[in-house]
Amino acid sequence: MAGSINRRAVRWLRGQLPELVAAGVISSESAGAIERHYGPVESRSNFGFVVLATVGSALVGAGIILLIAHNWDELSRATRTVIAFLPLLVAQAFVVFVLMRRDESRPWREAVAVFDVAAVATAISLISQTYQIQGSFSDFMETWLLLSIPIVYLLRTTFGAVVYVIGTMVWLFSRETFLVRHSNPMLFWILLLLAIPYFLIRFRENRESRETATISIALIVAAVFGVGFTADFAKSDLGGIAFAGLLTAIYLAGMKFFPREDGRLHVSALLGGIGIGVTAIVLSFESSWHMTREFNWSERTAMQNVALAMEVACPLSAIALAALDVARRRFQFSLIAALFPIVTAIIWGVASLCQPGHAESLYRTNCSFAAAAVMNVYALWLGIDILARGIRTNSIARANFGLLLLVALAFSRFFDSDLSFVTRGVGFILVGAGFLVANILLFKKRATA
Amino acid sequence: MKSFRIGIFILIALAQLSVPALMAWSRVQTLTHGRVWKFKTAPVDPEDAVRGRYIALGFDIEQYPRVERLEWNTPVYVVLKADGDGFAAIDQISETPLSGDNVFRAEAGGWWDGKQHLTFPFRQYWVTEKIAPQAEQAYRDNSRREKLNAYVTVRVRNGDAALEQLYIDNQPLTDYLRAQAAKK
Repeated sequence: MAGSINRRAVRWLRGQLPELVAAGVISSESAGAIERHYGPVESRSNFGFVVLATVGSALVGAGIILLIAHNWDELSRATRTVIAFLPLLVAQAFVVFVLMRRDESRPWREAVAVFDVAAVATAISLISQTYQIQGSFSDFMETWLLLSIPIVYLLRTTFGAVVYVIGTMVWLFSRETFLVRHSNPMLFWILLLLAIPYFLIRFRENRESRETATISIALIVAAVFGVGFTADFAKSDLGGIAFAGLLTAIYLAGMKFFPREDGRLHVSALLGGIGIGVTAIVLSFESSWHMTREFNWSERTAMQNVALAMEVACPLSAIALAALDVARRRFQFSLIAALFPIVTAIIWGVASLCQPGHAESLYRTNCSFAAAAVMNVYALWLGIDILARGIRTNSIARANFGLLLLVALAFSRFFDSDLSFVTRGVGFILVGAGFLVANILLFKKRATA
Repeated sequence: MKSFRIGIFILIALAQLSVPALMAWSRVQTLTHGRVWKFKTAPVDPEDAVRGRYIALGFDIEQYPRVERLEWNTPVYVVLKADGDGFAAIDQISETPLSGDNVFRAEAGGWWDGKQHLTFPFRQYWVTEKIAPQAEQAYRDNSRREKLNAYVTVRVRNGDAALEQLYIDNQPLTDYLRAQAAKK
């Protein structure tokens, strides 16, 4: 809402400029400077219209298919084949039209992009039905994604890019069936990589735009799932470190590449931060440190080693990102959060170097408990740090996220450990009191400020 | 710049067209030049006969007696021979590619009781929504243990297998349904 008011105010100001110059209030140079300050006149980017146009073209496409399907039985194979190509040809004609005449219109571009991509899927599935071709769903997704991604770039459609990224996730999940688990997910990374340049283009154009934020959310979610599948595939017990590394890298990249004057976090830093908190809680359970010991050099495939390398690359990139700024002594991120992958790696080392425990508990090592205990201390430290940062920067959201982390930690131990009821009770009272005190402090500080 | 982008799009458009076109073309090749084989369908689990708009087909010969077990999902080449009644039977299966008008590619499934289970690439027969319920009923009625009366024709050529027609009571599915409707 603030943006639209602002735009309206700028428009009003622009309208006033000639009068002000005429009245001699400001010089024409100043008027020009003011004009330049607000940048070129922005055409209204009508988001609602974009959505409607997109949905509309999808509906028209679906309608055409239904009309054709009506008399499908009576048609010969050859006729059906021709019909299968019709929507695609129409869509392609529209794309050419938009490229020639309506290239500046975002609704047009988004709408024909959806139409074209949907028409490709329609043509493939109609041909499959006509000729009784039975490919797997993941093969279909693969082909479809590869045929769609050039459209994203050509028609500069952010909506299309987000749908493409969702498609890569669908591909990832489509391969995991009841019988075949942990299949090779490496192609996912290649498919995802194809969307990265589009994100960089949007980022360079305007890093604060809603479009850039939307794609970054999609990419982050996809990367998290991708690392999960890669860790399963790699069979190396390194999943915890990989997740810690990935989420820390996301948090640090969000802080570094989307700096904010007002101290508010960009959505990517926010997601990374929340991810760090959630992962720390998950890893604070002792069962997270039962090593499966599936790792076996002799049985590993080259692809599994690539997956392993990718897992290791996650914490390394996080460390590199942090080290760069720490060395320059210019950083805004939480140092405790940045330490997360290193802490996790140390704990992992402790847990896996220990001798396996009793024969009956195959996966437990003698140090699982110690490992989890260290992670608990870290999570506690992290929660307190976030809380303190929240109080320092006067951010109620951040302070409460820190508290939430502490509460989650307390809850986890409540269900997980054999502490006496008295100890648990005292613990809860302390956390609850902390919540109240911190919030009272914050609001007081706000009121006086 | 504009003509450059249109040039790029023409390439993309050709790629978009070529995928379904190639799919259709290779199938047409198999359908016109391939050898016809008749596959007797196996009794079906009635609950599982129709998934969406597909009739789920099953074949008795998908269980092939074999001592060694194959890995799940490995491609296997199935060599066909005709049995006494003129239906397709498996001559042998091979992990290395073979060619001929009696070879098609399938996938290995599980192995138990000395039998290697295979997944043929023509287990779904697509029907339109209009006839799906009747088709399902007809296939179910003719694919029971006591009444096995359904088969499919498949054209086979150099590893490719193209499902041609589902026959019930020796009539193509649509003809059979039409005859059934006329009887009522």
